[in-house]
Amino acid sequence: MTAYLPPLVIDVRVRKPGSKGRRLWLPLFLLWPPLLLLLLPVVVIALLVDLALLVSGARYHHYTLLVVNSLKLLAEVRGTHVDALSDDSLVKVDIY
Amino acid sequence: MSEDRTRILGMLAEGKITAEEAELLLDSLGTAASETVTATEATPSAEWPSGPSATGTPKFMYIKVTGKDTVDVKVPLGLLRAGLKLTSLIPPQAMDQISESMGEHGMSIDFNNLKPEDIEELIGSLREMEINVRSADGDHIRVFCA
Repeated sequence: MTAYLPPLVIDVRVRKPGSKGRRLWLPLFLLWPPLLLLLLPVVVIALLVDLALLVSGARYHHYTLLVVNSLKLLAEVRGTHVDALSDDSLVKVDIY
Repeated sequence: MSEDRTRILGMLAEGKITAEEAELLLDSLGTAASETVTATEATPSAEWPSGPSATGTPKFMYIKVTGKDTVDVKVPLGLLRAGLKLTSLIPPQAMDQISESMGEHGMSIDFNNLKPEDIEELIGSLREMEINVRSADGDHIRVFCA
């Protein structure tokens, strides 16, 4: 089930020479509960559409899978890491 | 000698990194120290693999840019896997439009014929991929999967 767990936090750190730097935690997990409420009706509608397409004999009836795999794509963003070091600053971005 | 310098030299001695990479790391260490950005932060990817993994399925794509600026990016290959699987689920009408648009831009890839086993094979084969680009102004870009 963790394979479908969306990113929970984006950690951004910016540091300039001679300064303490800044750290910013973007709590993405706060976004997911309201979006989940939107997602549930979308999944139900997709299921109904797929069922109707299946009954009518249409070749394509994968809207539900499309929604579920979109979530998986979102979940796979976890683990992304970016470091950028220039002459005057260091930027680190981690997605957990 | 600082702990980071010792670690880089240790990695060089173990053959994990090349002499050129060690030089770049030591250079960036020196620059960072002089600019009060700590050495550990200046070489964040020092513990990353130095090249493609010899065995197993690669987990991440590493993009390393060294030169005037240093950029290290680590992207989970699961993202590629999930993206390719998603393309196989896109409705045919939309997929036709995407293929047409990509064809217009010189990328003639037919995602309709992409099977799950092809995706796994593709990701497995990425283990053997390594891209090295050296620009005239001294920038070095390395892309590999491990």
